[in-house]
Amino acid sequence: MKPARESIPLTPSEDLAHLRLLHLADSALPIGSLAHSFGLETLVSEELLQVSDLPEFLHGYLQEGGMLEAVACREAFNLVQGDDEAFPAARWIEINDCLSALKPARESRAASATLGRNFLHAALGLGDFRVLREAGEASIESGSLIHQSTAFGLVSGALAFDETRAVLAYLHQMSATLISACQRLMPLGQNAAMRILWNLKPAIVDVAASSASFTLETVSCTMPLLDWGAMEHPELATRLFIS
Amino acid sequence: MVATAKEAFGEIAPDFSRPSRARALLRLNFSRDSVTGNTFLADSFQEAPLKVVRAFTMEDGTALAHLHNVSGGLLGGDRLAMQIKLSSCAQVQLTTTGATRIYRRRQEYSATTQCIEVSVGEGALLEYLPDATIPFAGARYLQRTSIDLADGAGMFWWEILAPGREARGELFEYEEFAMRTCVSVLGRRIAAENLCLRPNKENVSSLVRLGHYRYAATFYLCKVGLEAGAWRRAEDHLRELTAGMTRRGEILWGVSSLVAHGLVVRCLARNGREVLPGLQAIWRSAKRRLYDRAAIAPRKVN
Repeated sequence: MKPARESIPLTPSEDLAHLRLLHLADSALPIGSLAHSFGLETLVSEELLQVSDLPEFLHGYLQEGGMLEAVACREAFNLVQGDDEAFPAARWIEINDCLSALKPARESRAASATLGRNFLHAALGLGDFRVLREAGEASIESGSLIHQSTAFGLVSGALAFDETRAVLAYLHQMSATLISACQRLMPLGQNAAMRILWNLKPAIVDVAASSASFTLETVSCTMPLLDWGAMEHPELATRLFIS
Repeated sequence: MVATAKEAFGEIAPDFSRPSRARALLRLNFSRDSVTGNTFLADSFQEAPLKVVRAFTMEDGTALAHLHNVSGGLLGGDRLAMQIKLSSCAQVQLTTTGATRIYRRRQEYSATTQCIEVSVGEGALLEYLPDATIPFAGARYLQRTSIDLADGAGMFWWEILAPGREARGELFEYEEFAMRTCVSVLGRRIAAENLCLRPNKENVSSLVRLGHYRYAATFYLCKVGLEAGAWRRAEDHLRELTAGMTRRGEILWGVSSLVAHGLVVRCLARNGREVLPGLQAIWRSAKRRLYDRAAIAPRKVN
């Protein structure tokens, strides 16, 4: 078990760390994630995406967008050093700026930033974490966005979670959130949604493992059609989601 | 910018264990004549197969240069680098003389790599308007592009990716096409794309990737210094144009604001016929809006 790195009340046991990770990775965490579809709504509205396409679509999403976010999550996780180490604010800003630049659609970029900011604030409400406070202040000062995956990675590092488990949890909640959006957009029932998420788990494990061998400089993310959907989302006549 | 072609190639990290063919650097430095206001090719370094014969002066003083590859295309094992520098207030238009062909890679050769470094000085404007890139069956291509924009600098930059030699029924038979592009303003990234398609390993027709579309294009439109509100209005303006060009199932156009200082346009199309005219229409409209000047289509040799 890694030692606690922050001034939290007690050193978390593995069980406690596991429970905390489950809590923070719950897609029902009140940070607003259920309000975003990240371009899915356009693909459904344009009748490009059907229920029967979902398993393959989500698998592809994990390989592309999931891989990118997993790498960003890892990079942010590893910014957390020992108690006496200064927080590398410049690198934190650089990671988030890089991720912002890699998100071409304005709405999806803003959605990720809203969720990231909300997640960081939610975590700061759970205890006095110097690293998180400094990260938030550095982002405000620089005008840099805080993305959901980087916020999750940083919080996970600050709480001394296991790195790979943190990435797995992030990818799992990301997949659950997308499937939840699909349930509201398409004729997708609870049982079918549950099966899709269940069957995605091996792919989540694969992506989490592969993400360890990339950096934000080397990871690829090729989603032109979904990017188009996210770019065109503001033009939908009726919208269930903010993005 | 790196000083040598060797350093430039090293940045792409190609597989050096395999033999290479051409190693070539093309360096172009453009300056603006303070008396005439015309931009001229002040300095160049050229190694075959990369070649620029001369820079032509257009009617608005812009320097137009055609990027030639005298070997007819990019071969497996080629390691090419281009360094383009625009000094303060220079105006440059770069184009190709035809589609960029990336030939099949023979097993004994490494991937074809191309490293492009661009520096656009204060108040300068670069228009990079190439024809499509066509990766042939068996091609493996890695491109890295790094663009730095100074204060007040502008850029229109598009790239079009074809699925292969469509006319002979060759679709997505290339081995790998990877394109990493990074646009920075005063050292801070505003846009990046790490595209990688490996049709033999991944389903390019996934609805995440290309769906049933075959052509993909990306168009960056930047002018450093414009505030966010102006870009949102420009986005709305171009969206009206792209909405009229979109035909579901045939060609899709999307436009969005970058983090700052620009817009990005995405196009997906079943065939390539409408892609270039569409990009040109967007370019004309955006240049009028951003620079209050006409976009002058590059004169082609062919």
